[in-house]
Amino acid sequence: MIHKKRLGTAGYYTAAIVIAVLAMIPFLWMLSTSFKSRGALMSVPIEWIPKEPTLKAYIKVFSKFPFLQTIGNSLFISVIYTLITLLSASMAAFAFAKLRFSAADLLLKVFLATMMIPTQVTIIPLFVVMNKMNLINTYGSVILPSIFRPFAVFLLVQQMRTIPNDYLDAASIDGASVFQVYYKVALPLCIPTLATLSITTFMESWNDYLWPLLMLTDKAKMTLPIALSTLNGQYATEYNVLMAGALISMIPIIVIYCFAQKNFKNGIMAGGIKG
Amino acid sequence: MKGNGPGKNRGCGGLITASPFLVPSLIGLAIFYLAPMLISVFISLTDWNGLDRLFADGFMRQHYIGLENYRSILTSDEFWKVLGNTLEYIVLYIPLMLLVSISVATLLSRQRKGVGVFRVLYYIPVLTSWVAASLIWKTILAPQFGAMNNILALFGIKGPGWLLDEKWAMPAIVLVSVWKDMGFFGLILLSGIIGINTSYYEAAAIDGAGPVTKFFRITLPLLTPAIFYVMIVSLINSFQLFPQIMIMTDGGPNGATQVMVERIYKYGFRYFQMGYASAFSWILFVIIMLCTALQLRGQNRWVNYDS
Amino acid sequence: MKQLIALLLTLAMVFALAACGGTAPAPEAKPAEEAKAPAKAETPSEAPAAEPVTITYCNFNANGGQEGTLDEMVAAFEKEHPEIKVQVETIAYDDYFTQMQTRVAGGTAPDCYELNIENFAAYANKGLLAEITGADTSALNETALNAFNVGGKQFGLPESFSNVILIYNKDLFDAAGVAYPTAEWTQDDLQQAAEAIRALGPDTFGIWQPITYNEMFKVVAQYGGALLNQDKTAFTINSAENLKAMQTLVDRVTVSNVQPTAEQAGAMGDWDWFMSGKLGMIPTGIWAFQTFTENCEFDWDIVVEPGSTQKATHFFSNCVVMNPETQHAEAVAAWLAWLTGSTASADIRLAHGWDLPALKDMDALAAYLQVTPPENKVAVFDSLNYLVMPPVIEDYAKMCDIINEKLSAAAAGTMTVEDALNAAQAECEAQIKLG
Repeated sequence: MIHKKRLGTAGYYTAAIVIAVLAMIPFLWMLSTSFKSRGALMSVPIEWIPKEPTLKAYIKVFSKFPFLQTIGNSLFISVIYTLITLLSASMAAFAFAKLRFSAADLLLKVFLATMMIPTQVTIIPLFVVMNKMNLINTYGSVILPSIFRPFAVFLLVQQMRTIPNDYLDAASIDGASVFQVYYKVALPLCIPTLATLSITTFMESWNDYLWPLLMLTDKAKMTLPIALSTLNGQYATEYNVLMAGALISMIPIIVIYCFAQKNFKNGIMAGGIKG
Repeated sequence: MKGNGPGKNRGCGGLITASPFLVPSLIGLAIFYLAPMLISVFISLTDWNGLDRLFADGFMRQHYIGLENYRSILTSDEFWKVLGNTLEYIVLYIPLMLLVSISVATLLSRQRKGVGVFRVLYYIPVLTSWVAASLIWKTILAPQFGAMNNILALFGIKGPGWLLDEKWAMPAIVLVSVWKDMGFFGLILLSGIIGINTSYYEAAAIDGAGPVTKFFRITLPLLTPAIFYVMIVSLINSFQLFPQIMIMTDGGPNGATQVMVERIYKYGFRYFQMGYASAFSWILFVIIMLCTALQLRGQNRWVNYDS
Repeated sequence: MKQLIALLLTLAMVFALAACGGTAPAPEAKPAEEAKAPAKAETPSEAPAAEPVTITYCNFNANGGQEGTLDEMVAAFEKEHPEIKVQVETIAYDDYFTQMQTRVAGGTAPDCYELNIENFAAYANKGLLAEITGADTSALNETALNAFNVGGKQFGLPESFSNVILIYNKDLFDAAGVAYPTAEWTQDDLQQAAEAIRALGPDTFGIWQPITYNEMFKVVAQYGGALLNQDKTAFTINSAENLKAMQTLVDRVTVSNVQPTAEQAGAMGDWDWFMSGKLGMIPTGIWAFQTFTENCEFDWDIVVEPGSTQKATHFFSNCVVMNPETQHAEAVAAWLAWLTGSTASADIRLAHGWDLPALKDMDALAAYLQVTPPENKVAVFDSLNYLVMPPVIEDYAKMCDIINEKLSAAAAGTMTVEDALNAAQAECEAQIKLG
């Protein structure tokens, strides 16, 4: 029995580590590239540990644009974007999953349908709409679309549908209003999903490039991906600088990820206590 | 779809109760989605080049060509070839991605030492930009010196030319996409697994169920809503496969990886035929919608809500 | 507690949005928070005479290192013209044209902006550019100027130009015991030298000349061929001259293998190979000088590209154009003329080693010759005598893509060169209408 368990542990870690290595290879290469000088970039075979590590690439990234301001803009946009998405999507999802209303099925299908048209052909029309609303060159143009995120609504609908109705019924019998049922019962039970959603939403907003580029023409409002794109020339790409920039822009997401991960555990607890 | 979700006779139903919850989404839907989509329907009926001022005076009069774009797309060889390439991707990608991300999620759901670290590491590919990922994958998949073919050679297999080979380019794209997405879908499935009430497992343990039985009797059935989500979303995303194609092959070799959205982008922004691109998109829309409708219809057979 | 705040926020938002969204759906639904933000430069104002007018200029060429140079130019211009202020927007090349197209179609294009030659053709032919009048263009190189003249109207001014020369690794030539290339070289001489260098080692190659559309239109000209007939009314992609030219290039990959196949090349690009010291020759642009100077640990130099029956060299130019909807046409014309044609601007440009100004008078460029390596920098100017223009047509991008697709098949050996050119000819004829 003990023997079998050990075997299971060994198997578990072997599998887990193999996948981890596969997942990490490109990341490690990015890391090593970012410490290389330009000449050492593309040697064959790959030079995993730079022979002469240098911070040149990082210095270039930091000296190229007002770093703090850019990060500040990106954080501001992404945090508000994520909060609005979480709120708006969870509300809609609650209505779809737990409040019966006519045309709910049809409406959910309309929500889904909006994901099916490539943004490549709606981008100019959306630009025109934004222009009509005088939103160009305002943070609103980048943040406001977060009030409708069909992917988020759909994900939360799926999660809320698994919540047993008895929980909600019990709460409403105790005299809770619909809003109270929503935020006291339904939301806490969705915490793992909300945590997941906050990572993916934050990341999407954080990495978004073309739309902020179109909307925020004022240099003072520049976001990080746009700032990083200023490191590329027309003919040549300095991969070490590119990778240094990419790594720096990954940090906030990793931080948020670690933070959100804690909520996975809280989610279990919430489920456990209430159940 | 009747009867999914549902608070049987709950007193608080009805559109009036639901509407405050829906208003923000509905406003966003109308302004940021339906309005542009409606405009693009009109564009698809024109020969607009995507450069002239949109909706200047007499725009429709000058550019209207009826259903001509649709006719010429559906009768072109290119459309069917590109649809075939897209379907090839989907057929290879979805089963592989599901298998990998369910495995990843199961692995990460275990209460083992260090699982928190693995959860972070597995998500790294999602965070890695396509530019960086494609550079390294091109090196790994390089036919002569690449790591992949060197490893295959150890087993006596002569590896193909991958991205340079017309037959193998799409499977290579699938491989890299699965690598990139496994963390994303793995995470969604993981939060589904974690959301499963622990009392089910406790009850099963009392009955003496082993881990395998637990997985197939409890985890998998209760995970079906999350799996269903992953299938719907990944199908929609796969039909719109784009960045990895642009960065890794740009549609080559010899058109073997040209897919729907790659064509739409090129027609709209490179060949200046935005009307044609819009019509192309609406055809794609109909295709995706039909596939999704099939999935929705089938869900009652296997998706398990409200246990 | 957190949930309570969340709820309050939710309620506030629902009411705020419901209040303005309820009655009139689209245009008025505008949240208060951002409505006050200034939307400057979008609405060109009726500026009083005393106030300087502000014009907006959007470009990609300064991105990735020359932003400071452009700022310096703007400062110098504003000093000369205190009545004009230039607001610069620099955007990365990759998405530059996507964003520019969106802004043009959406009616918010800047007063003036930069285009490359391919996109210039599309924009000019679709009537999206203003004719630039009243600008003094006498100092500009005529070949370059003509490239942006459509139907006798000057829709763009050449901002800068670059050409392509043959760069070679002196150390590898020495090792192979071959004499350095000269301006008199033909493709046959090149082939012999490439074979000698290839013999140096299994992963040392003689030359890398990408088998792409861009190389094709130049190389076929060296053999007396062309992609279009003289008056641009028919494609001549599969002519005998073209076939001979492309067969020569493809044979270097598939037959003599003096050029790496895609498989041999792996993930490294042509510049990477050259900088690694394992490539004898590379025809590339003068924009490579700085990078090669910084990264090559061997001696290298340049020479005018070899020809065959005649010489032909590449010419690349970006141009600046005017938005017909600008409120300040005169100020824009003044800025564009100064940027492209003035000595002051040229001096700043040369001092920072940023492309060549497209000037007629080569003496103004003397400073350029003094920066070495390469020693033989005069080859850059000599090459200008053999310039061949890209066959600019309205559907330029489509023609490029079709030809590239077929050429890549030929280079990979999955198609014969003849079949590839025939297929490209057929597809271009089917899909592109020539004016």
